Amino acid sequence: MSTPVLVQVLVVEDDPHLSAGVRENLRAEGYEVSAAGSGEQALDWLRGHQCALIVLDVMLPGIDGFGVCRALREQGNNTPVLFLTARGDPVDRVRGLEVGGDDYLAKPFHLQEFLLRVRAILRRWDWYRSASATADTAVLRFGGNEVDFRVFRARTWSGETQELTEKEAMILKVLAEHSGEIVSREDLLERVWGYDVFPSTRTVDNFILRLRKRFERDPASPRHFLTVWGVGYRFLGEGEP
Amino acid sequence: MKATRVFQLTALALMVVSAVQVAWWLIDQRAYTIEKVDAVHSVYAEQAAAAQALLDSGTSAQRVQELLPQITVSGGKAGLAPAAEQALRSEEHRRINQYAWEGAFFLLALGVCITVIARALSAEARVLEEQDNFLALVSHQFKTPLASLQLSLETLSLRSPPPAQARTLIDRMLADLARMSAMVTQILESVRLERGRVELKAEALELHSAVARVVSQLEDRAREGRVAISNTIEPKLYVMCDALALDVVVRNVLENALSAVAAAGGGDVAISARAAAGEVELAVKDSGVGFDPAAQARLFEKFTRLGSGGSAATGNYYGTGLGLYIVRRLMQLAHGRVSAHSEGAGKGASFLLTWPAAREPQP
Repeated sequence: MSTPVLVQVLVVEDDPHLSAGVRENLRAEGYEVSAAGSGEQALDWLRGHQCALIVLDVMLPGIDGFGVCRALREQGNNTPVLFLTARGDPVDRVRGLEVGGDDYLAKPFHLQEFLLRVRAILRRWDWYRSASATADTAVLRFGGNEVDFRVFRARTWSGETQELTEKEAMILKVLAEHSGEIVSREDLLERVWGYDVFPSTRTVDNFILRLRKRFERDPASPRHFLTVWGVGYRFLGEGEP
Repeated sequence: MKATRVFQLTALALMVVSAVQVAWWLIDQRAYTIEKVDAVHSVYAEQAAAAQALLDSGTSAQRVQELLPQITVSGGKAGLAPAAEQALRSEEHRRINQYAWEGAFFLLALGVCITVIARALSAEARVLEEQDNFLALVSHQFKTPLASLQLSLETLSLRSPPPAQARTLIDRMLADLARMSAMVTQILESVRLERGRVELKAEALELHSAVARVVSQLEDRAREGRVAISNTIEPKLYVMCDALALDVVVRNVLENALSAVAAAGGGDVAISARAAAGEVELAVKDSGVGFDPAAQARLFEKFTRLGSGGSAATGNYYGTGLGLYIVRRLMQLAHGRVSAHSEGAGKGASFLLTWPAAREPQP
């Protein structure tokens, strides 16, 4: 996969002024920008195009932003999503992240914060993609499991094929890159989510539980995803002590 | 608000407890009465047995009856006097009836109170929920233009764009401000309409000139959106309506039509009217973006904005989602009707407004 010269961003916002403002600023930052005014339009556009980031309004006519994100994830489309919304309460934030969003910004927002978040999401994805670009880093094998980071798919020791979510894949990637070393929860949060998206490191614990359920023969006494009490986690691959 | 709710809930609980108490008291009193009557019965039976013993021991029947007035002796056999039996039974009935009536009355009274309070509580809960929804929607409606305003200002400050681009940003900000200010007006109007704080003075109004006045005020906007407006209402059609309400209604419907046509890239709006069966019907037909017929029911509800999707390029209109709601409320208050029809998205729309007809006022 070659890296495109221009990074493509899709802006899905039904308010013409806000949409125009966001697009102009993204263009000024050097991104290539496309626009959609409704959830249906966004899904239509994404059927024929690829982009590096979707800036997605939550309250849209027709299918709302959450619905769009859920539909994309169900189709196996893992393009990162930055939600924009007028409702900034915690319940909404959590919902946005549950349906597979990467970040969440409440309206009205600061331009510089918006641009910073866009950059942060793209940087994380850039790292993930470049780290999964070559054949020997794209596939991880451990304990009879085989994970292909390029397509978010894994074949487990039991022979089952499993679709990973992007976050699961990213966490696994970070852990595998530091195989045998201790990785703190804060490091995982920083590398996978960025700064302040999630309020607690408990989230990381939940993701580790999910990874154990997928890949450990006995999730109750893990051999690959080890807890280091009070610090974080240690990943042990094939043949390591 | 909270204190009254606690009070209402306490009263409701007390009444339910009272109702249970009354029901229990009723059952208990009935059982007690029956028990007492049975006890008197057994006393009478003992007396009859004693009387029989006296008779058997040779006491005269007359003497026995003197001693035991409830007992009658006939043919050498002592038994309970029919009158005493009768008195006992009627006392039993009287008591049970009295409890039944009194209890039923109390239960009924309590039932009515419980229903009244429960209804008040659920009505209040509904109002609170509506207020919450209203607030959520209002804040959403405001946050979008606010976000746009902030974005434009920060773009100006961060990028110092060339004059032409700065001009675009300033125009955008002015439009956002106008939109928020229109929203404040409409929200206040809709709240006043809801609270019934609007007094309409019905008078005979000439429809053609009322519509023409609004059309002339919208000419600039029509030109901007490449909309041709035709007004073919015949003179001397009079409707019974409040003058200001008529103006607001016509303005909202026409603004709605203008936006729909502008969003479609231009077209026309045709205004006509006819008199029928004591009513006057005004039709506003546009060649605009139309709407999904399935959405028709929601059209006149608060905060319904049927987005036309990607009309961003033409859009200089920002609906508050209150315009058509205000129209419907004002039409109801004017004893009129409003309805909307569209064949579907992209196929235009027509709005029909009907008022009671009025006679030409005598000079």
